[in-house]
Amino acid sequence: MITQIDVRSVLARLGSDQRDLVTRPTGRAVRSSIEEELAVLAEAAGYAVVVLDFTDVRLMDLSCADEIVAKLLQAWVGPAAPGRVCFLVRGLDDHQIEDVEHVLQRQQLALVAESGGVLRLIGEVADPWRIAFERLAERGRAAAEELAADLAWPLDDVRSALDQLALRSLVLEESGQYLPPCAA
Amino acid sequence: MSAVIDVPARFDEWAFDQFAAGFAAAEGASRALVDAHACEWISPFGFVSLLAAGHALQERHGRPAILTVPADRDVAHFWARMGFFTHAKEIFELHGTVPRVRGGDSRVLLEVTPVRAAEDVHNVVQQIQERSAEILTSELGLDPKATMGFGMALSEACQNIVEHAGTGGWVAVHAYSWKKTLGKRVVVIAVADAGVGFRHTLEPTQGKRFGDRWGDGAALEAALLQNVSRFRDPGRGQGLAGIRRYLGRWQGKISIRSGTARIAILPPWDEGEDQVMKENLAHFPGAQVQLVIPAGAQETR
Repeated sequence: MITQIDVRSVLARLGSDQRDLVTRPTGRAVRSSIEEELAVLAEAAGYAVVVLDFTDVRLMDLSCADEIVAKLLQAWVGPAAPGRVCFLVRGLDDHQIEDVEHVLQRQQLALVAESGGVLRLIGEVADPWRIAFERLAERGRAAAEELAADLAWPLDDVRSALDQLALRSLVLEESGQYLPPCAA
Repeated sequence: MSAVIDVPARFDEWAFDQFAAGFAAAEGASRALVDAHACEWISPFGFVSLLAAGHALQERHGRPAILTVPADRDVAHFWARMGFFTHAKEIFELHGTVPRVRGGDSRVLLEVTPVRAAEDVHNVVQQIQERSAEILTSELGLDPKATMGFGMALSEACQNIVEHAGTGGWVAVHAYSWKKTLGKRVVVIAVADAGVGFRHTLEPTQGKRFGDRWGDGAALEAALLQNVSRFRDPGRGQGLAGIRRYLGRWQGKISIRSGTARIAILPPWDEGEDQVMKENLAHFPGAQVQLVIPAGAQETR
């Protein structure tokens, strides 16, 4: 199940006529509102792919990148999370992606970003995982064996990389196949 | 006994130490007279620092300091158009003729604006994005991509006041010719407060780590070069890092003065002209930040 959240609309619901995500109080308010939606999703579905769409947001500062993106990942990804959510961000320009990447790296977090129709991992990710993800994103869906053949890697290494990616909600696993979030 | 603090004839960041020395020397006086009558030119950094000084003097003496208005009519008009007197009259006793002006100057990117709360930061960013984006791109030749980052840098610089100063401050954004080393126009963001300063903010978490080295210079180094914050949350302390990245892309410069020290990250066009760290300067409260972005800068990677 893929749910798209228009972050600009969330901002508007909070009563703001602005298009800029700036300051921590704003970031916290936007995150709280998104979390209300996530709580409903987590109850209704076992697993949710959530696309955070920033297309109509004019600018986002580092404070909001941390309060919205990083803190959503901290709360909703991992064994203690209240639901299983896989996040994908869309609509950020290259500089914004770079800024979000720094925010995530500092906290050992990672996320899938869609930019120009291409999926990429941003944040703190080991190189083999990144390579495995990129190949998987090209294929759209694959079993570990298929990726191992593609990459000419030992199967155990590929399995390990994919399992780590799945553990961090960067890819999904369905009936022995792995897929990037947008292919769910 | 009253003390006179002279405002330099050209009051920019370079001349600030002269002003700060006068401010520090007036420490024991019962009242201060800030003499700007001979001031001929002032940068946004001068404007916001002057207001920070007025704020600190009011707290120090329990009453407003006197500020003499520039004698030159054109200079005084410029100060009025920049919105300086609107805020100065709240913290200074103004002596001299304050010109009446209608509205602001449409060519100004951002008049002198107070920053006290997150809402003020929103308004400042919105104003820049909506009123000044075209000036930044068409007149100053900034890449449209640079104007987005400009808003981010402005937001983070202003938030330092809201989050750390313990008091309000001011921001101003102007474009002018930077003849000294660059020979072309620049956009300058200046933000100043007379709050607690970087050393006080970071001392509880960083003082022991630096040991004998701890001081205003070490605090600035921790904040700007090591991205350290007073908060334990690892998500904090990224604002200045983001500003640095932005300025690095567009050959910009940042300098921060706090207490008795000043730190700067120098672009190639300013190397050899300025120093990365200056310590043992005359004490001035709070923090004063200046960001400089050259017109027509091409993105570097």
